[in-house]
Amino acid sequence: MNPLLVAIYIVFALAALLTLWRIVKGPSILDRAVASDVLLTEVMCVLGADMAINHHTRTLPVLLCLAAIGVFGSVAIARFVARREDRR
Amino acid sequence: MTIDSVLDTASLVLILIGALLCLTAAIGVVRLRDVPGRLHAATKPQVLGLVLICLAIALSLRSWPVVAFLVPVVMFQLATAPLSAHMVGRQAYRNGSFDADTLVVDELAGRDVDEASTIDREAAGGAGPQEPGPSR
Repeated sequence: MNPLLVAIYIVFALAALLTLWRIVKGPSILDRAVASDVLLTEVMCVLGADMAINHHTRTLPVLLCLAAIGVFGSVAIARFVARREDRR
Repeated sequence: MTIDSVLDTASLVLILIGALLCLTAAIGVVRLRDVPGRLHAATKPQVLGLVLICLAIALSLRSWPVVAFLVPVVMFQLATAPLSAHMVGRQAYRNGSFDADTLVVDELAGRDVDEASTIDREAAGGAGPQEPGPSR
């Protein structure tokens, strides 16, 4: 197995696990919004890496949709949840 | 060593750099202390990492239709990533969920607090919080 591939797998897995840790632990809802944004970006990067490694184009539309509508999650959280929180 | 294997290895290297950017963002999100700091770390792979991955896809698949599909992906990401980061950062400032001692310059120090108190007065006076001002 190509050592570059092994390194890519390990790095992606570590990044996703660390981001999940912040989503679970994050003290405020905004921390979780930021961390889920990072997780979404990692999902997009993994889909693209899968296409590049295995030489197929099946997930290109998924990549386009995620890039187009992935923003709405954190925008909605920032608009509707944040103002009701108490000041720390 | 053929040109194909060279291009495949180059695409693997690009993927590895993109993955390392994702790992950097994850470490920053875990280790930094407040929401703006985490946002600063989080926005690094959103554009650069995805651009690197898209370059890797183009190098690996080597077809123009795929490149034509990847261009709008990158354009959408360029358009929407600053939007979400701006919204989250603004609400983090208004919530006060940031570490004020670590700020070097707080350019919104007087202004935004006044605006927030105006909103609070409107809400208390019955004008209703569902009427946003013209500036938002």
